[in-house]
Order: sequence, then C-alpha cells, then structure tokens
Amino acid sequence: MAQIRPFTDEFEEYRRDESRSSGEAESISFPTSEQEVRDVLRELHAAGTPVTVQGARTGLAAGAVPHGGHVLNVSRMTRYLGMRQDADGTFYLAMESGVVLSELRKHLAAKNLAHAGWDDASLAALEAFEAAPEQFFPTDPTEASACMGGIVACNASGARSYKYGPARPHVTALHVALADGDLLVLRRGEVHADGRTLRLVTESGRELALDLPTYVMPATKNASGYYVADNMDALDLFIGACGTLGVITQIEVALMPAPAVVWGVSCFFASEAAALDFTEKVRPVLAHAAAIEYFDAGALDILRRQREASTAFSALPELSDDAAVCVYVELDCDSEEEATAELYRLGEVLEATGGSEDATWVARTEIDRESLIFFRHAVPESVNMLIDERRRADPTITKLGSDMSVPDEHLHDVFALYRRTLAEAGLESAAWGHIGNNHIHVNVLPRDAADHKAGGELFAGWAGEVTAMGGAVSAEHGVGKLKAGFLATMYGPEHIAESARLKAELDPKGQLGRGNLFGEDVLEAALAQVAGAVAAPAAVPAAGEKGGE
Amino acid sequence: MAGLRIDAEKCVGCGRCVRACANGGVRIEGEKRERRAVATGDCVYCGSCVDACPVGAIAIERGEAAGAADLASYSGIWVFCQVDGAGTVLPVAFELLGRARELAAVRGCAVTAVLGEVPGASEGNAAQLIAAGADAVLVCRDERLRDNDAECFARLICDLAHERKPEIILYGATNFGRELAPGVAVRLQTGLTADCTVLEMDEETGLLHQTRPAFGGNLMATIMCPAHRPQMATVRPGIFRAPEPDAAREGTVEEVALAADMRPRVEVLEHATPSDEPSITEAERLVVVGRGIGSKKNLKLMRRLADALGAELGCTRPVVEAGWLEYRHQVGQTGVSVAPKLLVSVGVSGAIQHLAGISGAECVVAINEDPDAPIFGAAQYSVVGDAVEVVTALLAELEG
Amino acid sequence: MNIVVCVKAVPSTTEVKMDPKTNTIVRDGKQSVVNPFDASALEVALSLKDERAAAGLDTRVTCVSMGIPATERLLRDCVARGADAGLLLSDRAFAGADTLATAYALTCGIRALPAAPDLIVCGKMAVDGDTAQIGPELAGAFGVPCVAGVTEVVSLDDGTGGAGAALTLRRDSDEGSELVRVCLPCVITVSKDVATLRMPSISGVRAGEAAQIDVLTAETSGADAARCGLTGSPTQVVRSFVPEREHVSERIEGTAAEQAARLADIVRGME
Repeated sequence: MAQIRPFTDEFEEYRRDESRSSGEAESISFPTSEQEVRDVLRELHAAGTPVTVQGARTGLAAGAVPHGGHVLNVSRMTRYLGMRQDADGTFYLAMESGVVLSELRKHLAAKNLAHAGWDDASLAALEAFEAAPEQFFPTDPTEASACMGGIVACNASGARSYKYGPARPHVTALHVALADGDLLVLRRGEVHADGRTLRLVTESGRELALDLPTYVMPATKNASGYYVADNMDALDLFIGACGTLGVITQIEVALMPAPAVVWGVSCFFASEAAALDFTEKVRPVLAHAAAIEYFDAGALDILRRQREASTAFSALPELSDDAAVCVYVELDCDSEEEATAELYRLGEVLEATGGSEDATWVARTEIDRESLIFFRHAVPESVNMLIDERRRADPTITKLGSDMSVPDEHLHDVFALYRRTLAEAGLESAAWGHIGNNHIHVNVLPRDAADHKAGGELFAGWAGEVTAMGGAVSAEHGVGKLKAGFLATMYGPEHIAESARLKAELDPKGQLGRGNLFGEDVLEAALAQVAGAVAAPAAVPAAGEKGGE
Repeated sequence: MAGLRIDAEKCVGCGRCVRACANGGVRIEGEKRERRAVATGDCVYCGSCVDACPVGAIAIERGEAAGAADLASYSGIWVFCQVDGAGTVLPVAFELLGRARELAAVRGCAVTAVLGEVPGASEGNAAQLIAAGADAVLVCRDERLRDNDAECFARLICDLAHERKPEIILYGATNFGRELAPGVAVRLQTGLTADCTVLEMDEETGLLHQTRPAFGGNLMATIMCPAHRPQMATVRPGIFRAPEPDAAREGTVEEVALAADMRPRVEVLEHATPSDEPSITEAERLVVVGRGIGSKKNLKLMRRLADALGAELGCTRPVVEAGWLEYRHQVGQTGVSVAPKLLVSVGVSGAIQHLAGISGAECVVAINEDPDAPIFGAAQYSVVGDAVEVVTALLAELEG
Repeated sequence: MNIVVCVKAVPSTTEVKMDPKTNTIVRDGKQSVVNPFDASALEVALSLKDERAAAGLDTRVTCVSMGIPATERLLRDCVARGADAGLLLSDRAFAGADTLATAYALTCGIRALPAAPDLIVCGKMAVDGDTAQIGPELAGAFGVPCVAGVTEVVSLDDGTGGAGAALTLRRDSDEGSELVRVCLPCVITVSKDVATLRMPSISGVRAGEAAQIDVLTAETSGADAARCGLTGSPTQVVRSFVPEREHVSERIEGTAAEQAARLADIVRGME
C-alpha cells in the first residue's frame, strides 16, 4: 500500500502549485492505484485529517496547495485501464487520474497506449482504434502537462473550448473515492437528479440523498462552484468540484476524430478596439474556428522585452513595431481546401475591420504551429518570471490573474470595465486569453505590496460587475482557494451555504480540499449543521444503510 | 531502365513495404488472398521496402551506370590529413591511417597520406604519418593552403588523383573535411559516403563497404560505390582508434605542387576561438540538480562533480524558483531541452515537464533518495541513496 | 540580384517510429515538409531581399527542388513566405538519386532559369540524409567558391563600390569560427540556427496559391539521363538495417562508496 510519509524538506515543491502560493502539510502519499487511494483515505478518516488532492500541480487557483494535514498526490497513477467503442463508432478511453495530458496526446497520436491487463473487449476496441483515423481528446488547457484528474476537477477548458466546450461533455464516467474510502462509480446517463435532489449509492451499498444548491448557473463559460441544474446527471456534480467532494481515481473520456488540417492564424491590430470589432464580426463568419484568442498590448510588450533579454526566448517570432495587439484564430478543418476557404473569409473580415491580411502569421506546418504555441506559452511564462523577479524585492507580491467570462453581448462592456478601472488604479497589467468566449485573463503586475493590494480589490470589484453582466467569476481555472471570495459574490451567502452543506453530506468531517470553494467559517457551519441532522435520525432516509459512519 | 521489381509469386500482401515507404511508392492491390504489393510512380528507390519485405519479394534493378571507370587501373588507399592553424595534424588523420592500414592489409595495397601545409612547416608531420601507418606521404607546402581553402585543396587532391588513380580516399568528417570531400567528389564525378562508422574491405573486388547512420542513428545503411573510382568516405573523429606510433616504420615523402593557376577565393578575415559562455543545450555532458540536493550550499559540491566530469551544470525549475541557480540553467519544458551523451541527474524527482526536456539524453544516471521517483523510469543507471553522500563518494573516486 | 535557394522535401517528423514486430522504420506516409536547414536558407535569402529592398534594389528569390510532383505544395509555401518563384525538377528519371546525381539535376534546373544566379543558398544538410554534400557539390559543378556551415550573414556588399559584390559571413570552423569574405557568385550552406523562417501572411498564402510553379523533367531541363537518378548515382545502398540497441536499466545497489565506485566505472567507460 502507498506509504504515508512525513512531509520533510524533500517534498518542498509539493507545498505549491502553478498559482505560486504555498501551504503547509504534515504528511504526503503517492498512491499508485485506486485501491491505494482508498487505503490512504481510510487510514486518515478516523482522525479526520485534512486531505488535499494533487495531480500535476499546474492549477492556477491553488486548489492543490495543501491546507494542513495530508497531501494525496495521484501523479503516479498513470495507467490506461481499458477502451470501448459504441455503436456510432466513438471510442472511449478509461484511465487513472494521474495521466498527463501531453502524454495522453502523444500516446493517442502514436496509437501507442499501454494496455497491460486489459480485458478482451478492451483489446478488441484497441484494435479498432489502431485501424481508425487518428483520435484526440480536444480539451487543451494552455498547460499540457496538467493531469487528467486536475482537468476534470476544475472542468478545464483552454483555447479550443470555443469549438469543443470545456472538459465536461467529454467525460463519460468517473470513479470517485469518498473521504471515508468508500467509492462512487458514476457513468453518464445512468443516474439523474429528481429536480434538485440527487440519490446516489456507493460501492458499499450506502445510499446518499443530496440536496443540490438552488442557484442558476450563468449562461457563459463557467467553472465557478458546483455544477447544478434541475434533473442533472449525477456525473456532472463531480466534474469541476475542485477536489472537495471526493478523490477522482478513474476517468473515462470520449475521444473524437482528430481534425485533418489544423491551421493557426495570428492577426495583428493597431488598437484593442479593432481587435474587439474583428472578434465580434468574425465569430458568425467562421464555421471551423476552434479557438479565438487575444493578447493585449501589455502582453506583447512583455514578449518583445523577453525576446531581447533572454536567449531562451530568442526563437520567438519577431513582432513588428506597429503590432499593438493580437488575435489568434485556430481553424480545425477536414481538408486544406476547406481551410483555405475559411482563411480567405477570415482575411476579408480582417480587411473590413481595420486589420490587414499582410499583418498576419499563418501557421500551416508543424514547426510554425509549434512556434505559435511557444508564443502563447511564453506570455504567462514571462509574466511568472517578471513576478518572481519582483518577489525577490518584496516577497508578499504574488501573481494576480483574473479568469472571468461574460456573455457575447457584454464583450465591449467588460473590456471597458477592465481598462477604466486599471487606469484609475494606476496598475501595470497584461491581458490575454479566450476572447472568443469573452473570457480574458487580466493579470495585474504588482510593483509593490500596495499594487498587490489594489489589484486584489480591483478583482473583487470586477466579480460584482461581471456577475451583474450575467458572467462567471471563474470560467476555467476553478475557484480553488484563491477565488472562494468571488464565488460568494457571484452566488450570494445562502447559495454558498447550500453548497457547503452538499459538501458536508459527502465529506462529513470536512477533510477534502479544505480551503477550496469555501471559507473556514462557512464550511464549519455546514459541517455542524449536517452533523446535527445526522444526529436526528428522521432527517436522513436510512434504508439499506451499511458501511457508513 | 531502373525500376522497383516486385515478385508477385513471392509477395504475400502483408503491406509492410507500404508502411516502410515515405513516398507512397508502393501500394497494396487486390482482396484477401489476392492482395499484392505493386509499385506506384512515386518510388525513389530508397530501398526501405526491400529491407522491410519479410519474404524477399522486392528488388531494385539498376540501369547501366554512366562513366564507369576502368576499375583495375586504380590502387591504393589515400588518407587526407588535415592540419590545424598551428600546423599540427588532427587526431582523426591518425585514426584513419590506422584503419586504412588494416584495410590495405586485406587488399594488399599501399597507404598514402596526403598532407597540405604552409611553407616552412616543420618536417615532423610526415614522419608522424609514416609512424602511424602511411607507406608514402604526398606533401604540398604552399602559402595558398594557409586557411583551409576547400577549392585549393580540392584542386590539389583532384590533380593528384587524376594522375595517380587511388582506389580509395578517406577524409575526417570535420567541418573542413565535410566541405572538401564533396568538392572532390563532384570534380572527379565519383561517389562519396558521409560520416561512416564502419569501413570494411572486400578482398577480391576492392569494394569498400561503407556503413553510416541515417535518421539520427535509427537506421544504418551500408553503401558501396561499385563502378566509380576513387571510392570516397568521410569518418567522424573518434570512430577508429589511432594506432600506437611505430617509429621503425619506413615510408617515402614526396613533395607535390598545387596548380599555379589556383587562387583562394574565400578570404578569411578573422579567426575566433569558441566563446567561453557554456551552453547546456549543446553540452556533451550535464549534471542536472534538483531540490533533492538539500540546500543551496550543496551546489558547490555539484559544481565540483560537474568539473570532475567535464560537464555543464543544469537544474530543474524548483531550483531556479528557489533562486539557487539562474534561469539559463533550467532544463525542461519551460527551460531548454538538452541532448547530452551523459546526463547525471542528482536529487531530481522527475516531473513530466522536466522529463520532456531530457528525452534527448543518450545515457541518464539518476541519483535520488526516493526509490519510486519517476526520474528512475528515464534512467539507464539508477542509484537510490542520499545525493550528497553518493556524490561525495563519487568525487572521491573521480578526483582520487 | 538573383538568389536561388535549394529546398528538399523531408518526412515531417524527425522522430522515427520503429515497428517493434518487424524492426523496420515506419513512415506511414506522413506529409513531407521543407528540410528545416533549407527553411533557414530561405530566410537568409528573404532577409537579404528585404535588406536590398530597403536600399531600393531588386532581388529575385527562386526556390528549386528535386522531388515527386507533390513537392509543388512545398514550393507554393515558399512563395507564400516571400520567394518570387519556384522550380520543381520532377521525373521518374530523377528517382533514386544519390548526392552526385541530385546535385547534377539541381545544376541543370538552375541553368534552365531565365537568369544566372548570383548566390545559391542551401541548408547545410538534410535531416533525413545528414550528408551535407549538395552545397559543396553544386559549387564544384558551377565552378564557384563555397562557404559551408554559415552561422551568420554579416553583410552583403552589393558591389556598387566597384570591387564586385561580396558577402561577409561567419562560419563554423574546426577551431571555433571564422569571419570570411567571398565574392559573388558563390554557394553558401547555412546552419539551422542562422535564422528562423518567417511565417506566411494571408496575402502570402494567396500569392502562393496563385503562383505558377514551373515543373521540368530530365529532358526539358536538358539533363543527360545517364547522369540522373539511380542510373547516374555512383553510390548504392546495398543494405539498410536497424542497429541493435542496448536497453540498459541497472539499479546500482550497495553502500554509497560501492555505488560511487560502480558509477565511476560507468562514467570512465564512456570516455
């Protein structure tokens, strides 16, 4: 079984994730199977030790940063477990939650999936998969070294969600280990809520009756709080739950045929207004856009400086001096002819909105696409380096990145909000992200502690305004620890209390993902309430209960 | 007329040839038992399908070669001996002489060293070449040979080869050798095989079997030059072992002249020695350290290890984040990718982002306390143990 | 000024897949790309063109390739990125060429261009063959000087001073690097890092699609068929095989001193 080890200095890096905030822990484990996860959870449950689940620690909302207690790191659970193909030809791949996205992509492209121990049905599906056209998993968070468990836990999206949506619709089954080591096996389409009441049966036969929170989610890209809807599929509750309801041990995803032709087009504009115009006009024109991304003037300037300053970035393509901002469009097409026609349509919109066909980069080859991916990655990487440098002068500074989305009709409004308030606060910033979904990451670049504080206040203000526009406070990173306050702004205290009670039903000792989604006081209140309800037997239908606490 | 010939009787329609082909030069036709490979118009005669065919059904037929030489009139093995700016013969020349000596013994022919020097160069080079295996040294001492001008050297070798008809000429695959040899090949209209790692001689025919890596060493090809002479090959430094010099060996030294009408057309304005800035990207050896080395003060020990190994120092991202080393040392997805011959990884757990950056390393030695650290999955040699303790002991071995 | 860039189509991936069952290379007919070294060569030519354009001077960049008919697609891509024209030498008679026969075909194609080149730029080598022979062989065929392994184009003197046009270049030498000056016409071969090929713009893509790519056969390029392709190649591949790889995976046990002793042996064994 997985060893629970004391959290010595050797594990220093496991105190942090890509959000660059850090926490404390007393112990750590690296289970290598679902059984080991459940053993670890059982062992910790008696004492009610807090458990923070970690995957590849690439999250940006501190969801994997420990909050005392134990760190349960699933990065050594990397097996593929089986495959099936349904009647319409779709392939489904089951895997452990520590599988890393970049590895999954590599294995899918090479049709080289490790299949030791698969049953005959899976092997037959694998044979069909090997004979079929290339398949892919479309979700592409910028950080391809994220692991699948993390991707599901925060319902990650990335650039291509413009076409393919977030991870959610591609997830078809999950195994979720509960705080006491019991297990939920969930398959899409099998269990639905009745209105806002959800009944689940665990592997040990325990029945759970869960009252779902009553809020209505915004109609935008959203990764804020629990997913709830009337008559929802039970599976959806556990996607995007930020590690607070259970530990995702196994995942089945639906694969899609990979597009035959993928072209990237970077379009440069002299002003942000022109880029916004272009975005609005091009959206209805393009039938094959998989991603529409934005880099503002602050982001491009950081890249210009980085390219000059560091040899590691000298391979970045050189930006022309009159390129103020950039919109990147990815076209996923079935043929070169289709892609060419789409490219020309894009060019026409560009010329009509103040851009120029000359001021574009068209990546049609692997090398050029890699160059644009490098360009895209270099932006957050450079911002991290800049912040690290400033942290040396003032260790209280951390990165401040927003993750809010609004409906289409508020694209101009939200940009106006960002620009006005940033200017008023006199803050340095760089913004980039998924403009196709009206979802931009505005990053404040604090020069000192005062800037840092002002940035935090600014974001809190935006949370209110964005909610008023019908938007979401976290569109893809998840709420984690950093955005718990915004979640309260978005849904209001009553709905947050409902959410916390839901968590307490599944995790009565409040062990899992402590600090994620909820403040301590909200969680403690919910735990006490649920404990009180359990004490009064009439409150819970106890039929067939066994193996529960 | 040249062509791809597929024997329909032997072909079993397995399709391996189709998978091996990069050019769509062969496809499968027919159903079930009638499946057979057929050549398309796109074959480039690379021979991949010939080697992939499990039943020997595919062959490449060749037409009559143009300009075939009167093979019998050629004899002897020549080795081009490059000198450096100080006039010293490069080690690769001795390595080639050693191998040429062995090939000449099979063929029963003489070994000739071809040496180009500036006037007034020391007399010692020719004697050294004889001691290393040359039976004869052709030396040209000419001011025009000062800056390794490939045209002048090519003219010298071509004129000598026209006159004396060597069966084989070997060159070191140095920057200069790789520029010179094709210049000679095109002027003599003969074949040239680059970067050979194996050279073998057919005693009867005098055919040189030249084996070289392609596709980054994933494929080896044996190449011959049956109808043209001289047969020419370049060989990377370090492939063959230089023989022990035998001062008792005897040989002739003959001065030869460079054609009077040759003028160097490439003017060397300035020589620069390699810059001192170490680059981990191109390092042949690397010591990469992770947070598992314990603390910043242990870096000194790791630098000593790097020095003892003649290696550069790289590190993981957490080490940079902790401020122990600068970003330019960072190996991995967000740092640089490296491809050293030897990579000693110390106290690195082996996050996937890091492993992506070291996948080009030929040999990875990993030292880590955690027996389950993922780095061991990428290592040829795994040492489970305390980083400082093992490295201290290793230094004692290496420095002792 | 006329610049010719020689480009070769190579398999798109340098990561060669092996079929574990048959132990042969699997290529699976992936689309070809321009050899990355040749891509850098094209950028060198386009940069020279830009530089001269800024001084009001005309430059014509022509990309020449020998390959199967589908190679036309790559030449269109070169035009999309800024080349003025593409010439494809494509004929069954060219198939199976070694470097000597390839250099001969390219020479015939370049001679068939409307104007003689002042400069021929080649990649130092191709990633699939690694021979690095085409550039020096072309120089020999044209009787012009060659500078191989160029790492930096320092300056182009357009010859308006009267001394004739010349290039100042930095190249890798066996003892470091050299700054050299060479008069035009000449051949240069460039390292991959000399420049990064620019991406095409949408207008460039339109130009590439609209471009006329000339295709010459052995006959129309005036080549002697006996010097082309397999027939005209002095060298023959008689066997290709997958080298035996040792898959070492050794866990070194013992005390720190014992482990260190074994490690020292391993490291010394590599010298």
